[in-house]
Amino acid sequence: MNTEARKKALRFLFEPLADKLGYKFTPVEEDADFLLEQEALLEAETGIPYCPCQARTKSREENMRLVCPCIPFHRAHYDAMRRCWCGLFVHKDVTDPDKLRQFPESRMGSR
Amino acid sequence: MKKVTIYALSTCLWCKKTKKYFEDKKINFECIDYDKQDEARQEELMAEIKANGGTGSFPFVKIGNACTQGYDPEEFEKLLGNK
Repeated sequence: MNTEARKKALRFLFEPLADKLGYKFTPVEEDADFLLEQEALLEAETGIPYCPCQARTKSREENMRLVCPCIPFHRAHYDAMRRCWCGLFVHKDVTDPDKLRQFPESRMGSR
Repeated sequence: MKKVTIYALSTCLWCKKTKKYFEDKKINFECIDYDKQDEARQEELMAEIKANGGTGSFPFVKIGNACTQGYDPEEFEKLLGNK
């Protein structure tokens, strides 16, 4: 399958999962397109659509926490940011993702 | 001017935005694409990132002796000493 077709397939697969988790695709179409493309390429390379903004390790268990959509594994952190780490998904009530800040889990308490 | 080092993933949108942020500000920086390094260098880099309070989430930005994780212009300005 080519990258464009796989991007469409990933969008189709992820949409209902994100919806049940209270999230939606970022309305910034250019960002969504770039991120889905990276995931399709990572999937072609590794067999799994990992988060494009988090590094894989040698630990399969740790890597499973990076499979998109990785929201359930980082729920409190992402809920605090109102987006996932890579920004492919935002909370359903978010209309302007540019106003959201990306911060590490360690700074959650200070926000 | 404080030395700026960006630890990035070549697949990461926010790493690209971070690079563009410093480019637009005409601030020189060194960029290391973690995923383009060999395994031994990746281990070294991850140890360095973790020693500075980071995790495997990118971008990780070192400004002078301080570090921050994520694309956060407000934090960049603070660490640059502009706020």
